[in-house]
Amino acid sequence: MQASAIECRGLTKQYGDVRAVNELTLNVADGSFFGLLGPNGSGKTTTIHMLSTLARPTVGSIRVAGYDVLKQPVQARACIGLVFQESALDRSLTVAENLHFAGALYGLDATTVEQRLAELLDLFDLESKREVRVAALSGGMRRALDIARGVLHRPRVLFLDEPTIGLDIINRRAIWRFISRLRQEHGMSVLLTTHYLEEAEGCDEVAFLRHGQLIGQGQPSDLIRALGHYILEIETDQPDYYIEQLSSELGTPVQEDERLLFAIQDEDFQFGALQQRLQHEVRALQLRKPDLNDVYIWRNQPTGKGEAA
Amino acid sequence: MIARATRAIIGRELTRMLRQRGRLLSAMIRPLIWLLVIGGGVGAMLEQHGSGDYQQFLVPGLLCMVLLFGAMLASLSLVYDKESGVMRMLVIAPFSHYWIILARTVSAAIAGLVQVLLLLAILAILGYLSLPIQFALLALGLVLTALLCAAFGMLIAVFSKSLDNFAVIMNFIIFPVFFLSGALYPLEHLPLWLKSITLINPFTYGVDLLKHALISNEAGALAPEFSIVQGIFIQIGCIIAALFVACLRFTQAPVMESLASILSCRRQ
Ligand SMILES: Nc1ncnc2c1ncn2[C@@H]1O[C@H](COP(=O)(O)OP(=O)(O)OP(=O)(O)O)[C@@H](O)[C@H]1O
Ligand SMILES: [Mg+2]
Repeated sequence: MQASAIECRGLTKQYGDVRAVNELTLNVADGSFFGLLGPNGSGKTTTIHMLSTLARPTVGSIRVAGYDVLKQPVQARACIGLVFQESALDRSLTVAENLHFAGALYGLDATTVEQRLAELLDLFDLESKREVRVAALSGGMRRALDIARGVLHRPRVLFLDEPTIGLDIINRRAIWRFISRLRQEHGMSVLLTTHYLEEAEGCDEVAFLRHGQLIGQGQPSDLIRALGHYILEIETDQPDYYIEQLSSELGTPVQEDERLLFAIQDEDFQFGALQQRLQHEVRALQLRKPDLNDVYIWRNQPTGKGEAA
Repeated sequence: MIARATRAIIGRELTRMLRQRGRLLSAMIRPLIWLLVIGGGVGAMLEQHGSGDYQQFLVPGLLCMVLLFGAMLASLSLVYDKESGVMRMLVIAPFSHYWIILARTVSAAIAGLVQVLLLLAILAILGYLSLPIQFALLALGLVLTALLCAAFGMLIAVFSKSLDNFAVIMNFIIFPVFFLSGALYPLEHLPLWLKSITLINPFTYGVDLLKHALISNEAGALAPEFSIVQGIFIQIGCIIAALFVACLRFTQAPVMESLASILSCRRQ
Protein backbone atom coordinates (compact mmCIF):
# COMPACT_ATOMS: atom_id res chain seq x y z
CA MET A 1 0.00 0.00 0.00
CA GLN A 2 1.20 3.46 -0.83
CA ALA A 3 2.11 5.73 2.06
CA SER A 4 -0.06 8.75 2.70
CA ALA A 5 1.21 12.30 2.42
CA ILE A 6 -1.62 13.50 4.60
CA GLU A 7 -3.86 11.42 6.77
CA CYS A 8 -6.38 12.77 9.23
CA ARG A 9 -9.14 11.11 11.19
CA GLY A 10 -12.13 12.58 12.98
CA LEU A 11 -10.68 16.06 12.71
CA THR A 12 -12.85 18.58 14.53
CA LYS A 13 -12.31 22.22 15.37
CA GLN A 14 -14.62 24.11 17.63
CA TYR A 15 -14.43 27.92 17.90
CA GLY A 16 -16.83 28.84 20.67
CA ASP A 17 -20.22 27.97 19.22
CA VAL A 18 -18.90 27.55 15.70
CA ARG A 19 -17.85 24.10 14.60
CA ALA A 20 -15.45 25.15 11.85
CA VAL A 21 -14.46 21.59 10.94
CA ASN A 22 -16.58 18.59 11.80
CA GLU A 23 -15.23 15.03 11.98
CA LEU A 24 -13.20 15.30 8.83
CA THR A 25 -11.38 12.21 7.64
CA LEU A 26 -9.09 12.57 4.66
CA ASN A 27 -6.39 10.55 3.03
CA VAL A 28 -4.08 12.15 0.50
CA ALA A 29 -1.86 9.63 -1.26
CA ASP A 30 1.84 10.37 -1.55
CA GLY A 31 2.59 12.39 -4.66
CA SER A 32 -1.01 13.16 -5.43
CA PHE A 33 -2.75 16.42 -6.12
CA PHE A 34 -5.72 16.92 -3.84
CA GLY A 35 -8.36 19.63 -3.99
CA LEU A 36 -10.33 20.79 -0.97
CA LEU A 37 -13.34 22.71 -2.22
CA GLY A 38 -16.19 24.48 -0.54
CA PRO A 39 -17.93 27.79 -0.06
CA ASN A 40 -16.60 30.67 2.04
CA GLY A 41 -16.45 29.73 5.67
CA SER A 42 -16.72 26.00 5.04
CA GLY A 43 -13.56 25.31 7.01
CA LYS A 44 -10.86 24.94 4.33
CA THR A 45 -8.36 27.32 5.88
CA THR A 46 -9.02 25.96 9.36
CA THR A 47 -8.34 22.45 8.04
CA ILE A 48 -5.09 23.55 6.42
CA HIS A 49 -3.96 25.26 9.61
CA MET A 50 -4.61 22.12 11.61
CA LEU A 51 -2.87 19.89 9.07
CA SER A 52 0.15 22.19 9.02
CA THR A 53 0.56 22.28 12.84
CA LEU A 54 -0.63 25.87 13.23
CA ALA A 55 -3.95 25.24 14.90
CA ARG A 56 -4.70 22.58 17.45
CA PRO A 57 -7.63 20.31 16.61
CA THR A 58 -10.31 20.03 19.24
CA VAL A 59 -10.48 16.33 18.42
CA GLY A 60 -8.74 14.16 15.88
CA SER A 61 -5.43 12.79 14.73
CA ILE A 62 -3.22 13.93 11.87
CA ARG A 63 -0.17 12.53 10.14
CA VAL A 64 1.69 14.52 7.53
CA ALA A 65 4.66 13.04 5.66
CA GLY A 66 4.64 10.23 8.19
CA TYR A 67 4.86 12.48 11.25
CA ASP A 68 2.25 12.82 13.93
CA VAL A 69 1.52 16.51 13.68
CA LEU A 70 0.53 16.88 17.31
CA LYS A 71 3.56 15.07 18.70
CA GLN A 72 6.25 16.03 16.18
CA PRO A 73 5.26 19.43 14.83
CA VAL A 74 8.80 20.52 14.06
CA GLN A 75 9.63 17.46 11.98
CA ALA A 76 6.31 17.79 10.21
CA ARG A 77 6.90 21.48 9.44
CA ALA A 78 10.27 20.65 7.92
CA CYS A 79 8.42 18.67 5.23
CA ILE A 80 5.64 21.19 4.75
CA GLY A 81 5.35 24.16 2.44
CA LEU A 82 2.42 26.48 3.04
CA VAL A 83 1.14 29.31 0.92
CA PHE A 84 -1.23 31.14 3.23
CA GLN A 85 -4.47 32.68 2.09
CA GLU A 86 -3.04 36.00 3.29
CA SER A 87 0.41 37.22 2.43
CA ALA A 88 3.35 35.91 4.45
CA LEU A 89 6.03 38.39 3.48
CA ASP A 90 7.95 41.18 5.15
CA ARG A 91 6.84 44.32 3.38
CA SER A 92 9.81 46.31 4.62
CA LEU A 93 12.31 43.97 2.97
CA THR A 94 13.07 43.59 -0.71
CA VAL A 95 12.03 40.64 -2.86
CA ALA A 96 15.46 39.03 -2.65
CA GLU A 97 15.77 39.70 1.07
CA ASN A 98 12.43 38.06 1.71
CA LEU A 99 13.40 34.88 -0.07
CA HIS A 100 16.80 34.78 1.59
CA PHE A 101 15.13 35.22 4.94
CA ALA A 102 12.59 32.49 4.23
CA GLY A 103 15.33 30.18 2.95
CA ALA A 104 17.46 30.70 6.04
CA LEU A 105 14.51 29.78 8.24
CA TYR A 106 14.65 26.35 6.60
CA GLY A 107 18.41 26.17 7.02
CA LEU A 108 19.17 26.61 3.33
CA ASP A 109 22.55 28.10 2.52
CA ALA A 110 22.83 31.32 0.57
CA THR A 111 24.07 29.68 -2.64
CA THR A 112 21.11 27.32 -2.82
CA VAL A 113 18.70 30.14 -2.11
CA GLU A 114 20.35 32.34 -4.73
CA GLN A 115 20.03 29.62 -7.34
CA ARG A 116 16.36 28.92 -6.62
CA LEU A 117 15.64 32.60 -6.26
CA ALA A 118 16.96 33.30 -9.74
CA GLU A 119 14.84 30.49 -11.13
CA LEU A 120 11.70 31.61 -9.33
CA LEU A 121 12.10 35.27 -10.24
CA ASP A 122 12.62 34.26 -13.84
CA LEU A 123 9.51 32.10 -13.74
CA PHE A 124 7.34 34.94 -12.44
CA ASP A 125 9.06 37.58 -14.52
CA LEU A 126 10.17 39.43 -11.41
CA GLU A 127 13.92 39.76 -12.06
CA SER A 128 13.64 43.49 -12.46
CA LYS A 129 11.97 43.68 -9.02
CA ARG A 130 14.72 41.83 -7.19
CA GLU A 131 15.80 44.79 -5.10
CA VAL A 132 12.37 46.35 -4.77
CA ARG A 133 10.60 46.38 -1.42
CA VAL A 134 7.61 44.12 -1.21
CA ALA A 135 5.44 47.07 -0.19
CA ALA A 136 6.05 48.52 -3.67
CA LEU A 137 4.92 45.43 -5.58
CA SER A 138 1.51 44.96 -7.13
CA GLY A 139 -0.89 42.60 -5.39
CA GLY A 140 -0.38 39.92 -8.02
CA MET A 141 3.40 40.15 -7.88
CA ARG A 142 3.23 39.81 -4.12
CA ARG A 143 1.09 36.71 -4.53
CA ALA A 144 3.60 35.23 -6.95
CA LEU A 145 6.36 35.92 -4.47
CA ASP A 146 4.32 34.29 -1.74
CA ILE A 147 4.13 31.13 -3.79
CA ALA A 148 7.84 31.31 -4.55
CA ARG A 149 8.43 31.51 -0.80
CA GLY A 150 6.21 28.51 -0.17
CA VAL A 151 8.13 26.19 -2.48
CA LEU A 152 11.63 27.57 -1.92
CA HIS A 153 12.68 24.72 0.35
CA ARG A 154 11.21 22.03 -1.91
CA PRO A 155 8.63 20.72 0.56
CA ARG A 156 7.38 17.15 0.32
CA VAL A 157 3.85 18.29 1.05
CA LEU A 158 2.64 21.62 -0.23
CA PHE A 159 -0.48 23.35 1.04
CA LEU A 160 -1.89 26.01 -1.24
CA ASP A 161 -4.68 28.10 0.27
CA GLU A 162 -6.26 29.94 -2.65
CA PRO A 163 -2.85 30.49 -4.20
CA THR A 164 -3.83 32.13 -7.46
CA ILE A 165 -6.25 34.70 -6.12
CA GLY A 166 -5.52 38.03 -7.79
CA LEU A 167 -3.13 36.60 -10.36
CA ASP A 168 -3.47 37.21 -14.07
CA ILE A 169 -3.97 34.30 -16.40
CA ILE A 170 -0.35 34.22 -17.60
CA ASN A 171 1.06 34.01 -14.09
CA ARG A 172 -1.62 31.60 -13.05
CA ARG A 173 -0.64 29.22 -15.82
CA ALA A 174 3.04 29.69 -15.10
CA ILE A 175 2.41 28.71 -11.51
CA TRP A 176 0.53 25.57 -12.41
CA ARG A 177 3.19 24.51 -14.88
CA PHE A 178 5.79 25.07 -12.18
CA ILE A 179 3.83 23.18 -9.53
CA SER A 180 3.30 20.26 -11.85
CA ARG A 181 7.02 20.24 -12.63
CA LEU A 182 7.84 20.13 -8.93
CA ARG A 183 5.39 17.29 -8.54
CA GLN A 184 7.05 15.33 -11.31
CA GLU A 185 10.63 16.05 -10.30
CA HIS A 186 10.31 15.76 -6.54
CA GLY A 187 7.19 13.68 -6.07
CA MET A 188 5.69 16.55 -4.12
CA SER A 189 2.13 16.14 -2.85
CA VAL A 190 -0.18 19.11 -3.06
CA LEU A 191 -3.31 20.03 -1.16
CA LEU A 192 -5.11 22.90 -2.84
CA THR A 193 -8.06 25.03 -1.91
CA THR A 194 -9.44 27.28 -4.58
CA HIS A 195 -12.59 28.93 -5.80
CA TYR A 196 -11.40 28.66 -9.42
CA LEU A 197 -12.67 25.18 -10.08
CA GLU A 198 -11.01 24.82 -13.47
CA GLU A 199 -7.78 24.64 -11.51
CA ALA A 200 -9.11 21.77 -9.47
CA GLU A 201 -10.04 19.73 -12.54
CA GLY A 202 -6.41 18.67 -12.74
CA CYS A 203 -6.61 17.19 -9.25
CA ASP A 204 -6.30 13.46 -8.72
CA GLU A 205 -9.03 13.78 -6.15
CA VAL A 206 -11.26 16.51 -4.78
CA ALA A 207 -13.25 16.71 -1.57
CA PHE A 208 -16.19 19.00 -0.97
CA LEU A 209 -16.57 20.64 2.39
CA ARG A 210 -19.69 22.29 3.66
CA HIS A 211 -20.18 23.67 7.15
CA GLY A 212 -16.98 21.88 8.05
CA GLN A 213 -18.27 18.53 6.89
CA LEU A 214 -17.19 16.34 4.05
CA ILE A 215 -20.11 16.13 1.67
CA GLY A 216 -18.48 14.26 -1.18
CA GLN A 217 -15.21 13.12 -2.56
CA GLY A 218 -13.84 11.56 -5.72
CA GLN A 219 -11.94 12.02 -8.95
CA PRO A 220 -13.12 15.10 -10.79
CA SER A 221 -13.88 13.13 -13.95
CA ASP A 222 -15.96 10.60 -11.99
CA LEU A 223 -17.85 13.30 -10.16
CA ILE A 224 -18.61 15.12 -13.37
CA ARG A 225 -19.74 11.92 -15.05
CA ALA A 226 -21.91 11.03 -12.10
CA LEU A 227 -23.70 14.35 -12.36
CA GLY A 228 -25.00 13.62 -15.83
CA HIS A 229 -24.16 13.62 -19.51
CA TYR A 230 -25.22 17.15 -20.20
CA ILE A 231 -26.26 20.31 -18.48
CA LEU A 232 -29.28 22.05 -19.90
CA GLU A 233 -29.48 25.75 -19.16
CA ILE A 234 -32.71 27.67 -19.55
CA GLU A 235 -33.16 31.38 -19.01
CA THR A 236 -36.72 32.51 -18.57
CA ASP A 237 -39.00 35.06 -16.96
CA GLN A 238 -41.17 32.31 -15.51
CA PRO A 239 -38.80 29.91 -13.82
CA ASP A 240 -41.49 28.39 -11.64
CA TYR A 241 -43.61 27.52 -14.65
CA TYR A 242 -40.80 25.65 -16.31
CA ILE A 243 -39.77 23.86 -13.17
CA GLU A 244 -43.28 22.47 -13.09
CA GLN A 245 -43.33 21.72 -16.81
CA LEU A 246 -39.98 20.00 -17.10
CA SER A 247 -39.27 18.40 -13.75
CA SER A 248 -41.14 15.22 -14.57
CA GLU A 249 -39.02 14.49 -17.67
CA LEU A 250 -35.71 16.11 -16.67
CA GLY A 251 -35.58 15.92 -12.89
CA THR A 252 -35.43 18.76 -10.39
CA PRO A 253 -33.30 21.66 -11.63
CA VAL A 254 -30.96 23.98 -9.82
CA GLN A 255 -32.45 27.44 -9.84
CA GLU A 256 -30.39 30.62 -9.93
CA ASP A 257 -33.00 33.38 -10.10
CA GLU A 258 -34.22 33.29 -13.69
CA ARG A 259 -31.85 30.56 -14.77
CA LEU A 260 -32.57 26.86 -14.49
CA LEU A 261 -29.95 24.15 -14.71
CA PHE A 262 -30.98 20.59 -15.41
CA ALA A 263 -28.58 17.69 -15.17
CA ILE A 264 -29.41 15.39 -18.06
CA GLN A 265 -28.73 11.71 -17.44
CA ASP A 266 -29.80 10.48 -20.87
CA GLU A 267 -26.89 10.19 -23.28
CA ASP A 268 -29.19 10.35 -26.31
CA PHE A 269 -31.08 13.35 -25.09
CA GLN A 270 -33.08 14.92 -27.91
CA PHE A 271 -32.14 18.53 -27.63
CA GLY A 272 -33.64 19.42 -31.02
CA ALA A 273 -37.15 18.50 -29.96
CA LEU A 274 -36.93 20.52 -26.79
CA GLN A 275 -35.44 23.42 -28.66
CA GLN A 276 -38.36 23.51 -31.08
CA ARG A 277 -40.79 23.36 -28.23
CA LEU A 278 -39.24 26.11 -26.14
CA GLN A 279 -37.16 28.41 -28.28
CA HIS A 280 -39.88 31.03 -28.75
CA GLU A 281 -40.88 31.05 -25.12
CA VAL A 282 -37.60 31.26 -23.21
CA ARG A 283 -34.82 33.81 -23.43
CA ALA A 284 -32.00 31.34 -23.84
CA LEU A 285 -31.52 27.64 -24.14
CA GLN A 286 -28.23 25.84 -24.06
CA LEU A 287 -26.95 22.29 -23.82
CA ARG A 288 -23.38 21.72 -22.74
CA LYS A 289 -20.99 19.29 -21.07
CA PRO A 290 -20.90 19.43 -17.29
CA ASP A 291 -17.78 20.53 -15.50
CA LEU A 292 -16.56 20.73 -11.91
CA ASN A 293 -18.38 24.03 -11.43
CA ASP A 294 -21.64 22.18 -11.98
CA VAL A 295 -20.70 19.50 -9.49
CA TYR A 296 -19.93 22.24 -7.01
CA ILE A 297 -23.18 24.05 -7.65
CA TRP A 298 -25.22 20.88 -7.30
CA ARG A 299 -23.54 20.00 -4.05
CA ASN A 300 -23.87 23.42 -2.53
CA GLN A 301 -27.52 24.06 -3.18
CA PRO A 302 -29.40 25.76 -0.38
CA THR A 303 -32.02 23.01 -0.56
CA GLY A 304 -29.28 20.57 0.32
CA LYS A 305 -29.74 18.06 -2.46
CA GLY A 306 -26.03 17.29 -2.73
CA GLU A 307 -25.83 13.52 -2.34
CA ALA A 308 -22.76 12.11 -0.70
CA ALA A 309 -20.50 10.07 -2.90
CA MET B 1 20.21 24.84 10.98
CA ILE B 2 18.61 26.77 13.81
CA ALA B 3 21.77 28.88 13.91
CA ARG B 4 21.17 29.96 10.34
CA ALA B 5 17.59 30.85 11.11
CA THR B 6 18.65 32.84 14.16
CA ARG B 7 21.27 34.71 12.17
CA ALA B 8 18.62 35.55 9.59
CA ILE B 9 16.29 36.88 12.27
CA ILE B 10 19.07 39.03 13.69
CA GLY B 11 20.07 40.19 10.23
CA ARG B 12 16.53 41.23 9.47
CA GLU B 13 16.32 43.23 12.68
CA LEU B 14 19.51 45.12 11.90
CA THR B 15 18.51 45.74 8.29
CA ARG B 16 15.24 47.20 9.45
CA MET B 17 16.96 49.35 12.07
CA LEU B 18 19.43 50.75 9.59
CA ARG B 19 16.61 51.48 7.12
CA GLN B 20 14.74 53.52 9.68
CA ARG B 21 17.34 56.29 9.75
CA GLY B 22 14.97 58.75 11.36
CA ARG B 23 14.39 56.48 14.30
CA LEU B 24 18.08 55.80 14.66
CA LEU B 25 18.83 59.49 14.58
CA SER B 26 16.25 60.32 17.20
CA ALA B 27 17.55 57.43 19.32
CA MET B 28 20.89 59.27 19.38
CA ILE B 29 19.48 62.73 19.85
CA ARG B 30 17.09 61.92 22.68
CA PRO B 31 19.80 61.05 25.24
CA LEU B 32 22.00 63.90 24.06
CA ILE B 33 19.21 66.36 24.75
CA TRP B 34 18.79 64.92 28.22
CA LEU B 35 22.50 65.12 28.81
CA LEU B 36 22.95 68.66 27.57
CA VAL B 37 19.69 70.27 28.60
CA ILE B 38 18.64 68.48 31.81
CA GLY B 39 22.15 67.44 32.74
CA GLY B 40 23.52 70.90 32.08
CA GLY B 41 20.73 72.67 33.95
CA VAL B 42 20.42 70.43 36.98
CA GLY B 43 24.19 70.02 37.05
CA ALA B 44 24.70 73.77 37.30
CA MET B 45 22.25 73.93 40.19
CA LEU B 46 23.87 71.03 42.05
CA GLU B 47 27.35 72.40 41.57
CA GLN B 48 26.42 75.36 43.76
CA HIS B 49 25.78 72.87 46.54
CA GLY B 50 29.11 71.25 45.88
CA SER B 51 27.76 67.84 44.81
CA GLY B 52 29.55 65.72 42.24
CA ASP B 53 29.41 65.92 38.45
CA TYR B 54 25.74 65.46 37.54
CA GLN B 55 26.36 65.07 33.81
CA GLN B 56 28.71 62.19 34.51
CA PHE B 57 26.07 60.74 36.78
CA LEU B 58 23.51 60.84 33.98
CA VAL B 59 25.60 58.91 31.45
CA PRO B 60 24.85 55.36 32.74
CA GLY B 61 21.15 56.12 32.89
CA LEU B 62 21.14 57.54 29.38
CA LEU B 63 22.91 54.48 27.99
CA CYS B 64 20.18 52.43 29.60
CA MET B 65 17.59 54.74 28.11
CA VAL B 66 18.93 53.98 24.64
CA LEU B 67 18.61 50.27 25.41
CA LEU B 68 15.15 50.75 26.80
CA PHE B 69 13.94 52.46 23.66
CA GLY B 70 16.07 50.48 21.23
CA ALA B 71 15.65 46.95 22.55
CA MET B 72 12.19 47.25 24.02
CA LEU B 73 10.68 48.87 20.94
CA ALA B 74 12.39 46.30 18.72
CA SER B 75 10.78 43.56 20.82
CA LEU B 76 7.42 45.28 20.73
CA SER B 77 7.55 45.24 16.95
CA LEU B 78 6.63 41.56 17.36
CA VAL B 79 3.08 42.85 17.61
CA TYR B 80 3.43 44.45 14.18
CA ASP B 81 4.89 41.21 12.91
CA LYS B 82 1.77 39.44 14.10
CA GLU B 83 -0.32 41.77 12.01
CA SER B 84 1.93 41.59 8.97
CA GLY B 85 2.94 38.43 7.20
CA VAL B 86 6.29 37.85 8.84
CA MET B 87 4.81 35.92 11.73
CA ARG B 88 3.29 33.47 9.27
CA MET B 89 6.74 32.88 7.81
CA LEU B 90 8.10 32.26 11.30
CA VAL B 91 5.39 29.98 12.65
CA ILE B 92 5.52 27.63 9.67
CA ALA B 93 9.32 27.36 9.84
CA PRO B 94 10.75 24.11 11.18
CA PHE B 95 11.67 25.02 14.74
CA SER B 96 9.74 25.20 17.98
CA HIS B 97 7.67 28.31 18.39
CA TYR B 98 9.39 29.37 21.61
CA TRP B 99 12.49 29.80 19.52
CA ILE B 100 10.80 32.68 17.73
CA ILE B 101 10.59 34.47 21.08
CA LEU B 102 14.19 33.70 22.03
CA ALA B 103 15.63 34.67 18.66
CA ARG B 104 13.57 37.85 18.51
CA THR B 105 14.73 38.72 22.03
CA VAL B 106 18.36 38.28 21.09
CA SER B 107 17.93 40.26 17.90
CA ALA B 108 16.15 43.07 19.73
CA ALA B 109 18.93 43.15 22.31
CA ILE B 110 21.52 43.34 19.55
CA ALA B 111 19.65 46.18 17.87
CA GLY B 112 19.71 48.02 21.21
CA LEU B 113 23.41 47.30 21.69
CA VAL B 114 24.32 48.64 18.27
CA GLN B 115 22.57 51.88 19.16
CA VAL B 116 24.26 52.08 22.52
CA LEU B 117 27.68 51.57 20.93
CA LEU B 118 26.94 54.42 18.57
CA LEU B 119 26.00 56.65 21.49
CA LEU B 120 29.13 55.61 23.39
CA ALA B 121 31.21 56.67 20.41
CA ILE B 122 29.43 60.01 20.27
CA LEU B 123 29.87 60.53 24.01
CA ALA B 124 33.55 59.66 23.77
CA ILE B 125 34.02 62.17 21.00
CA LEU B 126 32.16 64.86 22.95
CA GLY B 127 34.28 64.07 26.02
CA TYR B 128 31.52 62.88 28.32
CA LEU B 129 33.21 59.57 29.10
CA SER B 130 35.78 59.84 31.81
CA LEU B 131 38.32 57.27 32.87
CA PRO B 132 38.63 54.95 34.63
CA ILE B 133 36.12 52.76 32.81
CA GLN B 134 35.73 49.11 33.73
CA PHE B 135 35.25 47.77 30.25
CA ALA B 136 34.35 44.18 31.09
CA LEU B 137 31.73 45.32 33.54
CA LEU B 138 30.46 47.89 31.06
CA ALA B 139 30.02 45.20 28.41
CA LEU B 140 28.32 42.85 30.85
CA GLY B 141 26.03 45.57 32.14
CA LEU B 142 25.03 46.65 28.64
CA VAL B 143 24.37 43.10 27.45
CA LEU B 144 22.30 42.25 30.52
CA THR B 145 20.31 45.46 30.38
CA ALA B 146 19.72 45.02 26.65
CA LEU B 147 18.43 41.49 27.21
CA LEU B 148 16.32 42.69 30.12
CA CYS B 149 14.65 45.40 28.04
CA ALA B 150 14.18 43.03 25.11
CA ALA B 151 12.73 40.31 27.33
CA PHE B 152 10.23 42.65 28.98
CA GLY B 153 9.31 44.08 25.58
CA MET B 154 8.63 40.51 24.46
CA LEU B 155 6.51 39.89 27.53
CA ILE B 156 4.35 42.88 26.69
CA ALA B 157 4.26 41.95 23.02
CA VAL B 158 2.97 38.41 23.50
CA PHE B 159 0.15 39.65 25.70
CA SER B 160 -0.98 42.62 23.64
CA LYS B 161 -3.40 42.29 20.80
CA SER B 162 -2.43 45.37 18.87
CA LEU B 163 -0.14 48.32 19.13
CA ASP B 164 -2.87 50.84 18.53
CA ASN B 165 -2.20 51.72 22.14
CA PHE B 166 1.41 52.49 21.43
CA ALA B 167 1.19 55.81 23.21
CA VAL B 168 -0.17 53.98 26.23
CA ILE B 169 2.87 51.74 26.31
CA MET B 170 5.19 54.71 25.96
CA ASN B 171 3.51 56.70 28.72
CA PHE B 172 2.72 53.92 31.15
CA ILE B 173 5.68 51.65 30.69
CA ILE B 174 8.72 53.14 29.07
CA PHE B 175 8.75 56.55 30.76
CA PRO B 176 7.91 55.31 34.29
CA VAL B 177 10.49 52.54 34.00
CA PHE B 178 13.06 55.15 33.08
CA PHE B 179 12.08 57.77 35.66
CA LEU B 180 11.81 55.28 38.51
CA SER B 181 15.17 53.66 38.05
CA GLY B 182 17.83 55.82 39.60
CA ALA B 183 18.83 57.02 36.16
CA LEU B 184 18.02 60.64 36.99
CA TYR B 185 18.60 60.81 40.75
CA PRO B 186 19.99 58.61 43.52
CA LEU B 187 17.45 56.42 45.28
CA GLU B 188 18.76 56.69 48.78
CA HIS B 189 16.71 59.60 50.05
CA LEU B 190 13.50 58.96 48.15
CA PRO B 191 10.25 58.67 50.13
CA LEU B 192 9.49 55.07 50.96
CA TRP B 193 6.68 54.49 48.44
CA LEU B 194 8.77 55.83 45.60
CA LYS B 195 11.80 53.91 46.69
CA SER B 196 9.82 50.66 46.89
CA ILE B 197 8.75 51.08 43.28
CA THR B 198 12.28 51.69 42.13
CA LEU B 199 13.49 48.64 44.01
CA ILE B 200 11.10 46.32 42.19
CA ASN B 201 11.95 47.90 38.86
CA PRO B 202 14.53 45.53 37.36
CA PHE B 203 15.81 48.32 35.13
CA THR B 204 17.16 49.99 38.28
CA TYR B 205 19.78 47.29 38.63
CA GLY B 206 20.95 47.70 35.05
CA VAL B 207 21.48 51.41 35.60
CA ASP B 208 23.35 50.66 38.81
CA LEU B 209 25.61 48.12 37.14
CA LEU B 210 26.61 50.71 34.57
CA LYS B 211 27.29 53.20 37.34
CA HIS B 212 29.78 50.68 38.72
CA ALA B 213 31.41 50.44 35.32
CA LEU B 214 31.50 54.13 34.44
CA ILE B 215 31.45 56.27 37.56
CA SER B 216 32.89 54.05 40.26
CA ASN B 217 35.09 56.90 41.38
CA GLU B 218 32.07 59.09 41.96
CA ALA B 219 31.78 59.68 45.68
CA GLY B 220 28.89 60.36 48.02
CA ALA B 221 25.31 60.66 46.94
CA LEU B 222 25.92 59.97 43.26
CA ALA B 223 27.74 56.67 43.77
CA PRO B 224 26.31 53.23 42.83
CA GLU B 225 23.93 51.89 45.45
CA PHE B 226 23.80 48.11 45.00
CA SER B 227 26.55 45.55 44.81
CA ILE B 228 27.71 44.26 41.43
CA VAL B 229 26.73 40.68 42.26
CA GLN B 230 23.30 41.80 43.34
CA GLY B 231 22.81 43.66 40.06
CA ILE B 232 23.95 40.77 37.91
CA PHE B 233 21.82 38.13 39.60
CA ILE B 234 18.67 40.18 39.83
CA GLN B 235 18.91 40.99 36.14
CA ILE B 236 19.59 37.43 35.07
CA GLY B 237 16.69 36.25 37.22
CA CYS B 238 14.31 38.79 35.69
CA ILE B 239 15.41 37.98 32.15
CA ILE B 240 14.83 34.27 32.64
CA ALA B 241 11.48 34.82 34.33
CA ALA B 242 10.23 37.20 31.63
CA LEU B 243 11.33 34.93 28.80
CA PHE B 244 9.86 31.89 30.48
CA VAL B 245 6.44 33.51 30.76
CA ALA B 246 6.64 34.97 27.26
CA CYS B 247 7.55 31.61 25.70
CA LEU B 248 4.86 29.84 27.66
CA ARG B 249 2.23 32.31 26.59
CA PHE B 250 3.33 32.32 22.96
CA THR B 251 3.40 28.56 22.62
CA GLN B 252 0.22 27.94 24.60
CA ALA B 253 -2.00 30.41 22.78
CA PRO B 254 -2.71 28.62 19.51
CA VAL B 255 -0.82 30.72 17.05
CA MET B 256 -3.12 31.00 14.10
CA GLU B 257 -6.12 31.61 16.29
CA SER B 258 -4.50 34.52 18.03
CA LEU B 259 -3.36 35.84 14.65
CA ALA B 260 -6.90 35.60 13.38
CA SER B 261 -8.33 37.38 16.38
CA ILE B 262 -5.78 40.16 15.98
CA LEU B 263 -6.78 40.61 12.37
CA SER B 264 -10.45 40.56 13.21
CA CYS B 265 -10.19 43.08 16.05
CA ARG B 266 -8.27 45.36 13.71
CA ARG B 267 -10.97 45.17 11.08
CA GLN B 268 -13.68 46.18 13.49
N1 LIG C 1 -9.83 32.25 14.80
C1 LIG C 1 -11.14 32.00 14.66
N2 LIG C 1 -11.97 32.27 15.67
C2 LIG C 1 -13.30 32.01 15.55
N3 LIG C 1 -13.87 31.49 14.46
C3 LIG C 1 -13.08 31.21 13.41
C4 LIG C 1 -11.69 31.46 13.46
N4 LIG C 1 -11.16 31.07 12.26
C5 LIG C 1 -12.20 30.63 11.53
N5 LIG C 1 -13.35 30.71 12.20
C6 LIG C 1 -14.68 30.29 11.70
O1 LIG C 1 -14.56 28.99 11.19
C7 LIG C 1 -15.32 28.83 10.01
C8 LIG C 1 -14.43 28.34 8.89
O2 LIG C 1 -13.51 29.33 8.49
P1 LIG C 1 -12.38 29.09 7.43
O3 LIG C 1 -11.49 30.28 7.43
O4 LIG C 1 -11.74 27.78 7.69
O5 LIG C 1 -13.20 29.02 6.08
P2 LIG C 1 -12.68 28.87 4.58
O6 LIG C 1 -13.32 27.64 4.05
O7 LIG C 1 -11.22 28.95 4.52
O8 LIG C 1 -13.35 30.13 3.88
P3 LIG C 1 -12.82 31.05 2.67
O9 LIG C 1 -13.18 30.35 1.41
O10 LIG C 1 -13.63 32.28 2.83
O11 LIG C 1 -11.37 31.26 2.86
C9 LIG C 1 -15.95 30.19 9.74
O12 LIG C 1 -17.27 30.15 10.23
C10 LIG C 1 -15.13 31.15 10.55
O13 LIG C 1 -15.91 32.22 10.97
MG1 LIG D 1 -9.91 30.24 3.64
